[in-house]
Amino acid sequence: MTPGKHSRLEDQRFITGQGRYISDVNLPKQTYAYFLRSDRPHAEIRSINAKAALARPGVLAVLTGEDAIAAGFKPMPIFLMVKGRGGAELIKPPRPALAQGKVRFVGDQVALIIAESPAAAQDAAEYVEIDYRDLPPSTTPAAAIKPGAAQIWDIAPNNLLFDYEMGDAEKVEAAFKAAAKVARINLHNTRVVANPMEPRACIATFDNAQDKYTFYSVTQGIGGLRMQLSAAMGVPEEKIDVVAWDVGGGFGVRFNAYPEYMALLMAAKKLGRPVKWVASRTETLLADENSRGVDSTSEVAFDAHGKILATRFSFLCDIGAYCVPVGAFINTGGIFGQLTSVYDIPVSYARSRLAVTNTAPIGAYRGAGRPLMSYAMERVMDEGARITGIDRIEIRRRNLVPTNKFPYKAYHGKVWDSGDFVGLLDHAVKASDWHGFAARKADSTKQGKLRGLGIACYIEETGGGFAPHDEVELRFGSNGELAMYAVSHNHGQGHETAFAEIIAKVMGIARESIVLKNGAPESPRLVGNATGGSRTLHGAGSVMFQGAKEIVEKGKELAAQELEVAAADVEFADGAYRIKGTDRKITMRDLIDKHKGKANHPLNVKTKLTIGSTYPNGCHIVEVEVEPATGVTEIVKYSATDDIGNIINHQMVEGQLHGGIVQGVGQIFGEHAQYDAETGQPLTGTFMDYYMPRSNALKGMQLFDHPVPTKSNPLGAKGAGEAGNTGSLPALMGAIVDALRSAGVEHFEMPATPARVWGALQAAKAGKPAAFAPAQA
Amino acid sequence: MAKVAMKVNGKQMSGDVEDRTLLVDFIRDTLALTGTHIGCDTSQCGACTIQLNGRAVKSCTMLAAQAEGADIMTIEGLAQGDKLHPVQQAFTECHALQCGFCTPGMIMASVGLLKDTPKPTDEEIYHGLEGNLCRCTGYINIVKAVKRASQLMAG
Ligand code: FES
Ligand code: FES
Repeated sequence: MTPGKHSRLEDQRFITGQGRYISDVNLPKQTYAYFLRSDRPHAEIRSINAKAALARPGVLAVLTGEDAIAAGFKPMPIFLMVKGRGGAELIKPPRPALAQGKVRFVGDQVALIIAESPAAAQDAAEYVEIDYRDLPPSTTPAAAIKPGAAQIWDIAPNNLLFDYEMGDAEKVEAAFKAAAKVARINLHNTRVVANPMEPRACIATFDNAQDKYTFYSVTQGIGGLRMQLSAAMGVPEEKIDVVAWDVGGGFGVRFNAYPEYMALLMAAKKLGRPVKWVASRTETLLADENSRGVDSTSEVAFDAHGKILATRFSFLCDIGAYCVPVGAFINTGGIFGQLTSVYDIPVSYARSRLAVTNTAPIGAYRGAGRPLMSYAMERVMDEGARITGIDRIEIRRRNLVPTNKFPYKAYHGKVWDSGDFVGLLDHAVKASDWHGFAARKADSTKQGKLRGLGIACYIEETGGGFAPHDEVELRFGSNGELAMYAVSHNHGQGHETAFAEIIAKVMGIARESIVLKNGAPESPRLVGNATGGSRTLHGAGSVMFQGAKEIVEKGKELAAQELEVAAADVEFADGAYRIKGTDRKITMRDLIDKHKGKANHPLNVKTKLTIGSTYPNGCHIVEVEVEPATGVTEIVKYSATDDIGNIINHQMVEGQLHGGIVQGVGQIFGEHAQYDAETGQPLTGTFMDYYMPRSNALKGMQLFDHPVPTKSNPLGAKGAGEAGNTGSLPALMGAIVDALRSAGVEHFEMPATPARVWGALQAAKAGKPAAFAPAQA
Repeated sequence: MAKVAMKVNGKQMSGDVEDRTLLVDFIRDTLALTGTHIGCDTSQCGACTIQLNGRAVKSCTMLAAQAEGADIMTIEGLAQGDKLHPVQQAFTECHALQCGFCTPGMIMASVGLLKDTPKPTDEEIYHGLEGNLCRCTGYINIVKAVKRASQLMAG
């Protein structure tokens, strides 16, 4: 891949400090909010006394859960389409705007203080007196579901919200009985925090005259946020405007509404003044949606030739103290959408149990369930290779869906429409010089280092979308510039450039004349999906493509009038309408400009499409080197071969893969949101304690394309946003385990911090090769 | 409250601040130069990096009052009119930014790094950007951009 020639259209403002993030904006008469959060993991609230706080200088109001009840607010919505075992419904713990009766994790918002300055609000929080009665906390799902654990929710016996299954348990059991070999592995996928670099920030306003709220916020899509706010506040959507500008990253945790948002809107209405809130990093770590935190067990039954007869998985998922809108979805459908992965598997069974704990709620993060499945599958494939003695490449190749079987209907009902898994694997093996590994390992050994090689094949179902379709509107402005409107919000992916390039190519006009009006107040109300699930390019992007084609079609009639011929005699190519067989033409640009300034430009279009999922897939191969004396592990070679269909902008796709892969590197090597099991206190409340990958995270990275365009959308594109993360986790961990095995470690689990790697090596020396193995899920 | 005065992007600026006001808050709130960002509470992320008397400094690590009389440059003052600074140019050329939130700090830190080390090796870049976090790019293109900027600056 070579770097693209063109800079992104949005870059200019970011590199000159002219980006507009919510925290940069101030509204007249604005007030400032501070959330007083629970400092204990599990407690009854006996009383709250805000008198002293209210008497502090500059303090305007202190709101609590009582106020939210009085405002008639409802619990936050929770989305889940499926039923659990035996037809059971998901238990939905009601999440209020501000805590009511109980706090359930350190960081739970208890009171909202509004003052004339941020400092005054924060100072006053010290004066709110809360009388708590402490209850024992559970900080992991395994602890929460143990008999005798304190009940976090009365409505959730044994702290379980949902028990979900898929597949045929009996047939799978029979296959396991008949198996020549069974591979089995227990895994733990650590709890991490997405940590967009911009902490949450919002301004809530209420217009009394119009009886209308406006919410300026960080979001991945205004439509979904508005819908969720409307549901939770009991206010019709027409009464809420959501405005968003530049958003400093999302990764899944800017998709849902948060309870703080309702509290801020409530305060704005009460005070009749705008209320601004800018979260701290500590609030991001404690009270943003956290992610993952899953124990799992994977089992594969092989026949005598290493062919898979059946697979069986069990996941025990941490939901946190409350179930966020997508919390149940990502830990059921989000994982199981890829149940059989890239393999041709005749029968499978999987179960997922969702438990509440006294920790920050769990939401979506880069992959939203998919990396859990790829991790569970690929780690057990390595185990399969080990117990059968078949090479790791070979055991995969024997089981991959053969290329002549596409479209392939997987056991769990999903249809992989296109792909070339075997060809892609061969490409990846060659590109990574897999077979040259032994020589490189010998070199490392000479230097006293342990070298390991890891491989992961993956597939993922990109978001089908929660909205019935994606709608876009294209409107020409007074200067002839084209304004694009869509629901999907740009928060780093480069929508402004990608959409403009798609349209520019169809219409033959300069991409600089096409502007995305994302989340602007004057935007038309459109139906569509937020940015998420790696679907914007082939979702909204496909509709942009269609919209541009509709403009070209519409323009034919107008061009014919200009050229004084019948429309049938006009053809369009290279940005101009020509009279067929002649040189007489009018360019698209001229045609647009002829009509510019009109209130309703005749070429304006509004259009929509229903676009479903795509199935990007790939193979990542990694080499690491471990320094046994210190446990420090370095990635020395990373090659990713991916099929993400047709590529619109290479540079931006690479950027998405880099970002996704390095988030995987972060998780594998150290990111870990931790709570003290006894006290329930978070141990990683700042960037001093929470490890984040830095600029040396990934060296020696090479990306390769192996595209098989999909016919499921007009662009032929497949999602790229999460692929990197989905491939990286198992590949990286596989490489580390491979390195450690050569020193006698039998099992090792993330995070591969120097201390843990060193510890595992020491334990192996002391005759405990499985000291770092997780328990069964 | 105290009055502070300093030169910012070539202009003399002053304002009244509480004693506890951080330099970054003074820059953002009083001077309305919001290109300098805040990404953490513990001086780890580097989103607030500026130049202070010619050195890259995290503006959340000091009080506004400590910058009395200083010569400060923020991201807004880096380009010469329409002409981008080579580091800005390299960041956009190399796609070293996605959401843009870390970008002003990354650019200011890179300017500082290149001043000390005009021809940095990879290791020197890793070291120089140790205090700056980016969650979007995986840093690969940021490292590329610093090298590209070094070339551009060498002419
Ligand atoms: S805000 Fe200054 S280092 Fe994070
Ligand atoms: S570009 Fe988003 S944090 Fe760096």
